[in-house]
Amino acid sequence: MPRHTRTAAAVLLATALLSACTTTENTGSGDGAAGVTDTSVKIAGILAKTSATGYSTGAAEIGAKARFDRANADGGVHGRRIEFTGAEDDGMDPAKGATAAQKLVQKDGVFAVVPVNSPSFGGGSFLEQQGVPWFGWATGPQWCGLRTAFGYNGCLAPEPGAGTQTWWGSQVAAQLGGAEGKRAWIQGTDSTASKTGVSTISQSFTAAGFKIAGTSAAIPATAPPQDWLPYVNKIMKAEGGPPDVVVSIMAGAKLNAGLFGALKKAGYQGAISDATSYDPIVLKDPALKAGLDGVLASPQFEPFESDLPQARQMRDDIVKASGGGAVEFTQHMAVGYWAADVFLAIAEKAGKDLTRESFLKAAESFTYENPGFGRIEYPKDKKEPNGCGALVQLKGAAFEVAQHLRCTPNTPLK
Amino acid sequence: MTEFLGLVLSGLVTGAIFALLGSGLTLSHAATGVFNFAHGAVGFVAALLYFELTSGGGWPAWPAAALTVAVFAPLLGYVLHRLMFRGLATAGETQQIVATIGLLIALPALGLWLVEVLGLPSVTEGASARGLGPQPPTSYEPLDGVRLDSDQLAVFALAAASALGLWLVMRHTPLGLRMRATVDQRALATWRGVDADAASAQAWMLSSALAALAGILAVPALGLDQSAFTVLMFTAATASVFGRLRSIPWTFAAGLALGVVQNLVAGYGGSLTEQVTGLATGVPAILLLVGLVVLNRARTRVAGTVAQDTPPPDYLADLPPWRRVLPWIVGTVVGLVWVLFFAGDYWAGLVATGLVFSLIFCSFVVVTGIGGMVNLAQASFAALAALTAGLVVGHGLPFGLAVVLGVAAAVAAGLVVALPALRLGGKVLALATLALGLLADQVLFQIDAFSNGTLGWKFPAIVLGPTDTSDPRTRIVLLLAVIGVVALLVRNLERSPSGRAILAVRSAPTAARTAGVSAVRTKLTLFAVASAVCGLGGVLFATFAGQIYATDLRVNLGFVWLAVVVLQGVRRIGGAVVGGLIVGVAHEVLSYVTDSTHVEAILFGLGGMILARHPDGVLAQFAEQRYRRRRKKAASTEGGGTGSAGPLDSSHGDTEVEDSPVERPGTRPSEEPALRLEGVVAGYGDTTVLRGVDLEVRSGEVLALLGANGAGKSTACAVAVGEVSPTSGRVLLGGDDITTTGAVKRARRGLYLAPEGRGIFPGLTVEENLTLWLPSTVDRARAYERFPRLAERRDLPAGSLSGGEQQILALAPALIRPPDVLIADEPSLGLAPLVVRQVFALFGELRERGVALLVVEEKAHEALELADRVAYLGQGRITWSGPRAEVDADELTAAYLGIRPTGRPVEEGRA
Repeated sequence: MPRHTRTAAAVLLATALLSACTTTENTGSGDGAAGVTDTSVKIAGILAKTSATGYSTGAAEIGAKARFDRANADGGVHGRRIEFTGAEDDGMDPAKGATAAQKLVQKDGVFAVVPVNSPSFGGGSFLEQQGVPWFGWATGPQWCGLRTAFGYNGCLAPEPGAGTQTWWGSQVAAQLGGAEGKRAWIQGTDSTASKTGVSTISQSFTAAGFKIAGTSAAIPATAPPQDWLPYVNKIMKAEGGPPDVVVSIMAGAKLNAGLFGALKKAGYQGAISDATSYDPIVLKDPALKAGLDGVLASPQFEPFESDLPQARQMRDDIVKASGGGAVEFTQHMAVGYWAADVFLAIAEKAGKDLTRESFLKAAESFTYENPGFGRIEYPKDKKEPNGCGALVQLKGAAFEVAQHLRCTPNTPLK
Repeated sequence: MTEFLGLVLSGLVTGAIFALLGSGLTLSHAATGVFNFAHGAVGFVAALLYFELTSGGGWPAWPAAALTVAVFAPLLGYVLHRLMFRGLATAGETQQIVATIGLLIALPALGLWLVEVLGLPSVTEGASARGLGPQPPTSYEPLDGVRLDSDQLAVFALAAASALGLWLVMRHTPLGLRMRATVDQRALATWRGVDADAASAQAWMLSSALAALAGILAVPALGLDQSAFTVLMFTAATASVFGRLRSIPWTFAAGLALGVVQNLVAGYGGSLTEQVTGLATGVPAILLLVGLVVLNRARTRVAGTVAQDTPPPDYLADLPPWRRVLPWIVGTVVGLVWVLFFAGDYWAGLVATGLVFSLIFCSFVVVTGIGGMVNLAQASFAALAALTAGLVVGHGLPFGLAVVLGVAAAVAAGLVVALPALRLGGKVLALATLALGLLADQVLFQIDAFSNGTLGWKFPAIVLGPTDTSDPRTRIVLLLAVIGVVALLVRNLERSPSGRAILAVRSAPTAARTAGVSAVRTKLTLFAVASAVCGLGGVLFATFAGQIYATDLRVNLGFVWLAVVVLQGVRRIGGAVVGGLIVGVAHEVLSYVTDSTHVEAILFGLGGMILARHPDGVLAQFAEQRYRRRRKKAASTEGGGTGSAGPLDSSHGDTEVEDSPVERPGTRPSEEPALRLEGVVAGYGDTTVLRGVDLEVRSGEVLALLGANGAGKSTACAVAVGEVSPTSGRVLLGGDDITTTGAVKRARRGLYLAPEGRGIFPGLTVEENLTLWLPSTVDRARAYERFPRLAERRDLPAGSLSGGEQQILALAPALIRPPDVLIADEPSLGLAPLVVRQVFALFGELRERGVALLVVEEKAHEALELADRVAYLGQGRITWSGPRAEVDADELTAAYLGIRPTGRPVEEGRA
């Protein structure tokens, strides 16, 4: 019996390998017109749908699909339908991301990769080498300065000397009725990436007129602490008393809700702002909801709750693409949506004769504005962020727009 | 001061969770010898179930927690025991480590996959369950400025109550005694009627329940985050290490202290923790390393692992060399032709990626396959080399220099790891490498100047004549060449004097040292070579990817690598190559079957469980199968004869020996022999020791079984008590056939073995030793009355008694509650003559009370004085047996020398 099992397993494996091998006819690398026919353009994305921490950007897929569906309903791009085949999962593993990029280009023969949304995407150098355009949320330096990489709102990890955003500070200042005489505390986690983030965001708040009450990047990055007391103590005992606003650049609702909940328990009265808590899962979990109540989250697009036509259009498109019914809108949906939107705008400009080369040429000097996400200007925004963002606030059971999307001029990063 | 107090108090709450998790870890390790790296994973799946029940199913918190901790977790522990841990208890340490690492990968993936398949509420980032305390929590301020809330109090109270309960169970219940007896002397416990297997199962169930409780208590703060649970588990491991992996109270105390220390470092670390990135995060890892090096030097066996970790039989030994390498050459050539000329770019790319992993995996062959040591920091080595090379290239220096310096950095790190390896062995070494790997991730790679911050380092393609490595085919050819060189290197390493030295150090460190083999140099060589290979793999990984970031090769990745490569067989390069290719193509192949990303992790992890049964990997399995087929074929062509030597061969031997029961010599009569062996053929593996042994002992009779060293006396005892099953023949107890009955049942039916050496539990007290055979207090009181020396020492560990006292302690229970049969294996060994007389007087007393005694002795003198009958065992057969009166000196000599006096067939000597 065990021998039979083993033989069966071996046969199964061999068959699987063989069947896999026979499907490798398509090797379209270097072919500039790959993925484009007279009637269609083939597109697929790469997302971190799953990960060991539970973090997922998978919702970007439906966002992109929503935007492409509308483009198709409007007659496509120069008569070509967008054939969007969904997104691969890189599991937040750079090596898997690289493999996924190879699969899409060499096996599936896509024209471009839209949307890409993964904190540690590893397929960038392959796509650059193959000349395949890729669009998404450029949260890491692997995006910046490449010919083929397009962040829908620019490069969010500028190098020193390039421009860095000031909108977060200005928006919070606007929310608090001015930054005059107010002090901000910037909080990160115990990692080099977070430390870089702390100094970048400090600059945003300084530029907006805040004084920095203090910064810290010592919260363990590997797992949320069971006990927040030491970190809360640091903030409450900042020189000159508790700050007027605590800004967290930590990613993850669990970390932020933990810190903010503990801050409130310790009697903190000031404002709180973070980058990632604009997320419907917060509404479902009582502990998260309590911790994040009143917090100013900072999406980089016009919020879903807005009554601007572009936001309404995005909502409608996503509802339609999800097959109707109630949809929980997430940041990643908007990322997918706007990445697809920017791609379509460039494809439109590239004209009837669409190849990767003509596409990249069209992107070489390209400006586009849309109140949904602000504006984008390539090549400038390949090295710096577009400088636009909004604020939403969790009030009781729902998010509300606190500040509509606004763009402010960048300041050189020190 | 208030701040300090607040930090200490709330640190204790965090510490309670570490303590609880650590206690479970210590418990299962102490009870079964297996260090469960998947302990945190058990906590994770328990928390997952709790989440599904409360958030998903709308259950109230307490019933959900009760179901999870009291029903689900013990059940999971039991299933894991049956499927995996039972097989692991007797496996080598390397296999234990790898198997539980496999479980660490597979178990959470399995849970998440089930959630996906069953369509349960999915686990999103930040998802967590509510705490067990009242909702909403109330806040207290016991001292001015010190705040605690009801959730924290609930956590602490539950943890403390569980710890107390655990201590009571272990110290003051029969269940606890059985578990501790099993830990102390597993075989002896079995002979005293303790079902060691059941005790292990209970230990796993209890340990799972503790992990589950810790998981439920941790999840409100942690969220359902797999990697956070793994981190929590390593912190708990630190506590466990400070409990020396044995003591539950110390583990608990260490866990509490760890929570406080972490809080104090975070609170008072000041600018140091702000400036040195990762220092605050790294506190548990630093303490883990310190604890391992300071507290847990392996005392008996050092480095290379353990004696039972013997290399597998070489099933290809009967094949000519060309036949051994032929499959590999054919496979390589066919694969190469396919990938170079027929496969598309995509498949070529996958194979190239896989081969980079193959190269890295070759380092496992050196350090684990040859050296028998487990290094869990292999991914960090690769990352270190890659980042170093990146640093060099990033400063505009040539690529060649980058490779050299990258490899050199890995070698240097390897030597640093080898330093603890000099003193630590097995799982302690594995944990130490893990701590170093975590520190590399958390501190070293966080240094901006080294890893270039979040920017990482860029690598150019390597230009080779007309082509460069941006073409996957070039990469494949280059990698195959490098792997070929590494294979040659490994082969030479194995065959060279240093290779033989390695094997010597691995299987018998002390003997090797005596023979002048330098363990230090050997281990340093191994780690240096492995690190160099791994480093080269890391540099090529980065070069072919075009970039390297500090987060690309995290230490956890090494776990998956280890599971995959060991699954294929870690002792040969072939296993590493196949393992690498599997990692390269698995995702793609599986995408034809399933969309779920968890399946890959489940499959890789299941490798660990397979390993528990087939420790030498899949490739060795195939070789063994072919070997068996060849043997079978050869046997059938020989014509009719049985292929295997041994059992059937010697079965005709028992015709030489008497068939009928031995005539009752002189003393009291009784109808049925108390113990009888009939034509017993038995041995170990391919070696047959007993070749048809007939023996019988009647109640109230002493049979002395004499024979030279190696005659098979102890094997005969082992067959009688059920430790070794005979390949043919029968064992009868009081007339009932018990051949297939297990050792525990035999003990319970009245068979008592006083084994060679001392038949006591050195780690248990005198009282506890007695309790195992004499559960009633009255019986024990009688034992103390009979042996006042034991009464004086009742609360001391038995190990602290003198040799004579220990032998008395071993026999005392039998005197109070006489068994039907007592087997004493070399009872006089190492005892003073006075004590020997005392022991034999006890045997006389037992005979008076009707016990059948089988006394096995090498030194015949005392035994002959006591015996009613005597049997000689020589070369696996009874060469003579008869009443004591007929024993003659020549027979005795002949029996000892294994010769028969000329002209006298053995039968003649019979009464």
